Amino acid sequence: MPTTADQTTLHVPQGPALGDAPSRPRPHTGRRARRGKRLLNRSTPYLFLLPALAFMGVGLLYPVCRSVWLSFQDWKLGMAPESAVFSGWENYLSLLRDPNVYTSTGVTLTFAFTVVVLEVLLGVALALLLERPIRGMSLFRTVFILPMMVAPVVVGLIWRFMYSEQFGILNKIAKAVGIGGVPWLSSQEMALTSVIIADVWQWTPFIFILAMAALQSLPASAIEAARVDGANTWQTIWHVKLPLMMPVIIIATLLRLIDAFKVLEVIYIMTDGGPGLSTEILSLHIYKTAFVSQQLGRASALSNLLLLIVLALSVALFVFSKARERQARKVAM
Amino acid sequence: MRIQKALTSVALGAAVSLLALTTALASPYDKYKGTTLVVNFPAHPHYDAVAKVLPDFTKETGIKVEVDKLQYMRMHDKQVLEMSKPQGDYDLISYVIMWKTEYVAKNLLSPLAPFFVNAALADPDYDPEDILKAYIEPVGIVGGKKGYLTGVTGALYGVPFGSETSVLGYRKDIFAKHNLKVPETYDEMMDLVCKFKDLEPGMSGLTSRGAAGHQVGHAWLLHLNPLGGTVFDDHWKPVYDSPEGIKAAQYLKKILDCGPEGGTAFGFDEMKNAFLQGKAAMYLDSVSVAGEAENPEKSKIVGKIGWAPHPKGKVKASQTGGFGIAIPANSKNKEAAFLLLQWLTSKATDKKIALAGGSPSRMSTYLDPELQKKFPYYPMFAEAFKAAAYDWRPLIAEWGELNAPTLGVALSEAMTGKKTIEQAFADIKPRVVEIMTKAGYYSWSK
Repeated sequence: MPTTADQTTLHVPQGPALGDAPSRPRPHTGRRARRGKRLLNRSTPYLFLLPALAFMGVGLLYPVCRSVWLSFQDWKLGMAPESAVFSGWENYLSLLRDPNVYTSTGVTLTFAFTVVVLEVLLGVALALLLERPIRGMSLFRTVFILPMMVAPVVVGLIWRFMYSEQFGILNKIAKAVGIGGVPWLSSQEMALTSVIIADVWQWTPFIFILAMAALQSLPASAIEAARVDGANTWQTIWHVKLPLMMPVIIIATLLRLIDAFKVLEVIYIMTDGGPGLSTEILSLHIYKTAFVSQQLGRASALSNLLLLIVLALSVALFVFSKARERQARKVAM
Repeated sequence: MRIQKALTSVALGAAVSLLALTTALASPYDKYKGTTLVVNFPAHPHYDAVAKVLPDFTKETGIKVEVDKLQYMRMHDKQVLEMSKPQGDYDLISYVIMWKTEYVAKNLLSPLAPFFVNAALADPDYDPEDILKAYIEPVGIVGGKKGYLTGVTGALYGVPFGSETSVLGYRKDIFAKHNLKVPETYDEMMDLVCKFKDLEPGMSGLTSRGAAGHQVGHAWLLHLNPLGGTVFDDHWKPVYDSPEGIKAAQYLKKILDCGPEGGTAFGFDEMKNAFLQGKAAMYLDSVSVAGEAENPEKSKIVGKIGWAPHPKGKVKASQTGGFGIAIPANSKNKEAAFLLLQWLTSKATDKKIALAGGSPSRMSTYLDPELQKKFPYYPMFAEAFKAAAYDWRPLIAEWGELNAPTLGVALSEAMTGKKTIEQAFADIKPRVVEIMTKAGYYSWSK
């Protein structure tokens, strides 16, 4: 983040540089030697960074480069790597021709934006609600965090059983109340909603925790000042607490958004993309292209497209939050 | 002196013959004692029965077996990854029939002939002719006619194990109560499917798979074959959207609409459970359910089930499918794996597995008087194999791409009413042609 980067550059000259020579005179040090020493001093931090950079290069850059390379190849899973054939832009072009890719992109966008909006609204609201000291609140807090701790595959199975129209608890309740059976996972219209409900259930706690942490670290003086000025609870929340929490909320939203674009296990278990393509999010489509259709090149091309979408979103959100920050600073001055 | 000589020669002779006898009697398994085989089996009723019998193999042979059990549609990814390594962890795999051609095309399986010609390994009493033709031909042979049927260019790569054909299961009690005739034709069956909702509250007609992908595709094929349709014609031109194909989809839609709730999300397990839990009056799918259906722990309809052949449409054509077992080309213990394969599919084990609730692969098991007494439906099942369609679906290497992500999506969209059947079929035509063109099916046509 630039803010921390600024701080670092500020701090570095203050502290003694690594390997700095003591200030007593050294008669035999020539100009060249001094220059060499200065160079060494300057490069020392980079030298220390080298292992980390190498690690990042291998662990992060290599897969990305490999996936870009693979996206220009025609290679089937299970075939010898030598059998890969360079195919130019064909993988990308065939994706653009495939209507299922557009459907899948639409499903992904709908899913990601809906869950993130719902989770942020609910998470922040819950945090504001549970901030006040009520008896047994710590128990509540623990309970609210539980869904996040459950493994995604288990979450998928739990919800799949609950949604079962034959034996599931939800339809038993619905029938007892008189609503009648709901086709949770078996209709095109409901399936995506059902999947969204499960995701909101699992990930609202994430926003809740971060919002809670932000709330607890708010300067008491600001809230005190608002109260002295006669602001009621609602006004305090709207004009003081929320604006102050904004940086945290934006980061949390960004993290959730990126995650929501990559969600796989829960949907894989619950619907496997069906009925039709109604819940086939891009990551599942990529998985199927790679492992069911076995076209590794095409799957790589698709995952690169997903990477671009997520990257564009992250940059947009980042720029937006920067602009907000600048605006806030201007207002403060 | 002479007596002494004679005695010596007798003793010598006895020693030699004893030596010969012990060599002959040495078990073919001895060489592999202590070996641990890793096998990949599906979570499936047949393999649940196998698990009960498997310890006997270790007891008899000293070869240990470690089972990696997976949901059956998930085995494919893991097997491909495992078998394309220079040396894999699996010594024996269970594969679904539709993967056989792909695996062979990628050189992932060992042909079985080298083991059957090895006298030290091949059991002379194995009797391969006894294995059901309707199983071994579609499940085990690759490289013959069309690439996936029997023919002089074909070879054996797997042996059926948990293979299946389709039969009609029905609730004897409900049919008797309402004086209904067990359907013998498609017209009769389709006439019945929507009647049960009114006759028996809380009960539906025919349970069916319907989940997007492989499952709904399988359900459609069940009806396509008897109605006389195919996916491709003899020149690989796609004809799944022929009038027969559309009729099969219309039938399936009616079956799902009148079937148990949530059918369009049913895989094999949900479909089966709806019948076993008494939510559907009829079942039309694999014979593999028969064992479980009479097990009170898993079924609420014990003693209430009748079995009948797959109804006739234009033709009689029941399903051929299910599982086979094969030896990966990169297995470290191929010979021991063959011994396990042979043991599992032998006459004696086939009977044992049948007694434990599995599906037999041999005619001798179906004709066994002891078993027929225990499973009265065996003679009917044995008869059902005569109507099995060997070319039930195009088992080409590209079937994986055509099946779940293409046909399976179109059918799911049609079944859930998102598109009309005709529209859904038309929308995937370019993709089907693209897959077939890329694989080279049209490069020989002039």
